[in-house]
Amino acid sequence: MSKKNIKNNLLAVWAITKKDVKIYYLKPSTLMFGIMFPLFMFFAFAVGRNMAPAILIPGLISLMVLFSASSIGPVAIPTERRVKTFERLVSAPISFYSIILGKALGGVLFSLFVSLIVLLAAWTFLGVVIANPLILALGLALASLCFSILGIMFAMFPTENPGDVMMMLNFIRLPLMFISGVFIPLENLPSWGKLISLFSPLTYANDLFRLGLGADIYFNFTVNLIMLLLFVGIFSFVGIKVNDKFKK
Amino acid sequence: MDTKNKNQKAIEVSNLIKRFRELTAVDCISFVVEKGEVFGFLGPNGAGRTTTIRMLIGLAKPTGGRAKIFGFDIQTEIIEAKRKMGIVPETSNVYDDLSAWDNLIFTAQLYGVSGSAANRKTEEFLKMFGLFDRRNYKVRDFSKGMKRKLAIAMGLVNDPQLLFLDEPTSGLDVESSSTIKKTINNLSKQGITIFLTTHNIEEANKNCDRVAIINHGKIVAIDTPEKLKNTIQSVQSVEVSFDKTVPFQEMSSLKEFSFIGKIEKLGDKYKIFTNKPEETLSILWDWSRRNKLKIVSLNTFGPSLEEVFIKLTKEK
Repeated sequence: MSKKNIKNNLLAVWAITKKDVKIYYLKPSTLMFGIMFPLFMFFAFAVGRNMAPAILIPGLISLMVLFSASSIGPVAIPTERRVKTFERLVSAPISFYSIILGKALGGVLFSLFVSLIVLLAAWTFLGVVIANPLILALGLALASLCFSILGIMFAMFPTENPGDVMMMLNFIRLPLMFISGVFIPLENLPSWGKLISLFSPLTYANDLFRLGLGADIYFNFTVNLIMLLLFVGIFSFVGIKVNDKFKK
Repeated sequence: MDTKNKNQKAIEVSNLIKRFRELTAVDCISFVVEKGEVFGFLGPNGAGRTTTIRMLIGLAKPTGGRAKIFGFDIQTEIIEAKRKMGIVPETSNVYDDLSAWDNLIFTAQLYGVSGSAANRKTEEFLKMFGLFDRRNYKVRDFSKGMKRKLAIAMGLVNDPQLLFLDEPTSGLDVESSSTIKKTINNLSKQGITIFLTTHNIEEANKNCDRVAIINHGKIVAIDTPEKLKNTIQSVQSVEVSFDKTVPFQEMSSLKEFSFIGKIEKLGDKYKIFTNKPEETLSILWDWSRRNKLKIVSLNTFGPSLEEVFIKLTKEK
């Protein structure tokens, strides 16, 4: 790819992100959903279980990142397919990877915004200390990208109905909460649970957040980083392949 | 890369095929569109027209055959090919939640036009289509005609050499339709190649240098509108009106002549289909004198493009 092509693709990525932020992410209903849904879901499982802040806060951030990053893409893409604006993107002289990246970045920015609110609240009201700010920032960015692309991967199924995508996505997303060390630390899981947790990107994201907030971790930094990158690659690849398969 | 552009046809399609399982939507079609031409692509619903366009603009993969846009292969060099195109689909696919200005800026950025160049072009096209005063309004509140104009402006913002226009005036009022037709004429004068699909045969007749008619996935005719009309001379007609009302039964007596076919009453006029217009005129003259009628108007017509279209799409 020539320098001009790279520049054009980057310009298009940023244009798609800005457009999505304006149309979808800045809507009051989206902002409310992004914050309230994971928060209440967390309370539903955490209240009354006497969890230590070292487990509670990384778990809350994990849920925030998972749901805020992966929720809008699966709604926006089928909707754009229905009103034919998705064709505008696909018929532009840019690679399909740029479209996916542009769409994913909107989810990343939204997820980072929501996580920052949680962190700020945890710091103000619970006195939580951020032990490794760089690791936490990297973990947040990478996990947001990973879950945003997870949502987009499901949105590649050629439907014009957002409900179809959300149903498939929730079939994967909801079980992830219970097998990734969010509510039950990995070391307390039975051996079959530990084995299943290896296939969840939320496991590695949660572990990185714990490291960032100074809590004990199950894996190490490098393993978490590589595994999240691997999931980003797998979800992108599968998304492109699904799109190619259904391209009529 | 642009050197490839020289001496290239705007569109070259050879043996293009598209199959959906057992259904062959596009069946080995070939045609060429010259640079600067206004090319009409007509066909009834389900004929393969939209599928052909979707392949040409990179939204669908051909099952077989090849197509090139200014020399760039649509399968191997689609990004380069897309750079040459502007696309205005049948549905005005504008973003309702963005302003007219933001819609154009966004499209410009998708095509690599940014900064002051994007602002300049956005302003130019909004003024050209009379939308500048509404530039900061969300498109959601625009009329259908305004959305159509905006969609065309979005198709032009990258200065395309080839513009795909799908049903540009469909469902529009007379004024919006007229503005868009004038725009097509102006674009053609500027040397932009236009690939026009329309159900409005008269629109194709007036605007297109050549038209292709596709039916059941095959090209059944491709030529200039006038030459296509000449292919069915049997549907020439004479239109006549008299100073008095003439009953249809009296007029039908003319059918005794072998060269006179159908006779239709159109308001105060009669349309007589014939393959010998000169003899028909002479007979009409004698007949009116015999019946003490004065001829108020008398016109001869060749076949319309619509008649060609109906004949070709029903025949094959």
